[in-house]
Amino acid sequence: MNNQEKYKEDLLRQYINPESIEKSPEGFTSKVMTNIQMETMRLTASERLRKKNLVPIISAIITVLLIVSAFIIPGSQSDSLNPTVLSLIKSIKFSMPEINLSSIFHLNLPSVMTYVFIGILILTLFDRALYGIFHREK
Amino acid sequence: MDYKGDIYYIEQILAGNSYSFSNIVDRHKNKAYNLAFRICGNHEVAEELAQDSFLKAYRSLRSFKMRSSFATWLYRIVYNTAISHVRIKKKGVLSLEDFPVDATDFMGNNTSEEEAEKEYRSSLVNFVLQKINEEERGLISLYYYEEMSTEEISEVTGISKSNVKVKLFRARQKMLEIIERVEKKKLIYHE
Repeated sequence: MNNQEKYKEDLLRQYINPESIEKSPEGFTSKVMTNIQMETMRLTASERLRKKNLVPIISAIITVLLIVSAFIIPGSQSDSLNPTVLSLIKSIKFSMPEINLSSIFHLNLPSVMTYVFIGILILTLFDRALYGIFHREK
Repeated sequence: MDYKGDIYYIEQILAGNSYSFSNIVDRHKNKAYNLAFRICGNHEVAEELAQDSFLKAYRSLRSFKMRSSFATWLYRIVYNTAISHVRIKKKGVLSLEDFPVDATDFMGNNTSEEEAEKEYRSSLVNFVLQKINEEERGLISLYYYEEMSTEEISEVTGISKSNVKVKLFRARQKMLEIIERVEKKKLIYHE
């Protein structure tokens, strides 16, 4: 800084007193905190609403997609989809493992009941897993 | 209560204790408000701008990298908020005639001459600040009121250090010219 600049700086310092800063008005902090609390509450409410509606929204999207695809792909033109994919789907054979619970529990139940129980067990676990995902609190 | 440092309170807020932010606001409110006021020149607007800046700082606290000081980061928010506000709402140009020529105009019932002179100088600076552009006002405020170095100002404003020096020099020159004119007018008035 040359002499002229220094002189000008000093001259201006005669007018500007750093100690005479404008102080914030009374209640400034509480106003800021009120705004913050309001915003936090608003965000929490919208977050809850979003979480609550997530499952129905996803289900609705999937349903709409299925309906639209049913209209777009008529049954007669299914061959035009992709022959390789269709033939692959057709070739899938569902084979269930042989489970015989009667030998364990000594019960005389129809064989299909074994699969029903296993199905219920899997669905219950799946339901608990989904509940854990969508109802997780912050 | 002892202030435990910005970083301590920031960590508290990030851990979920949002009320810790009140310690930060208490610590920085006057300087933030002063900077906003020097740029916009209006108390009500300055309060709004300073509050808005604290809210912005709170919202983006997670993006604060803790590499620079929190004060520098906060002043950057205040500076940008105030500058953009003033750019949108440009005011009419003040005339020299708008400023009173005598310190006695600032004398209240219980004010001494010395206090009136102080008040006169302070009002003169506020008046002159409104005659230079918003960017220069910000720079002058950061340099003289917040007593920041040109390097710190560069960090806050995003203007290069050499450019800060040039702009400060020009702003100073403009302010002194206006002060000189007001003082001359004052002399003529008293003759």
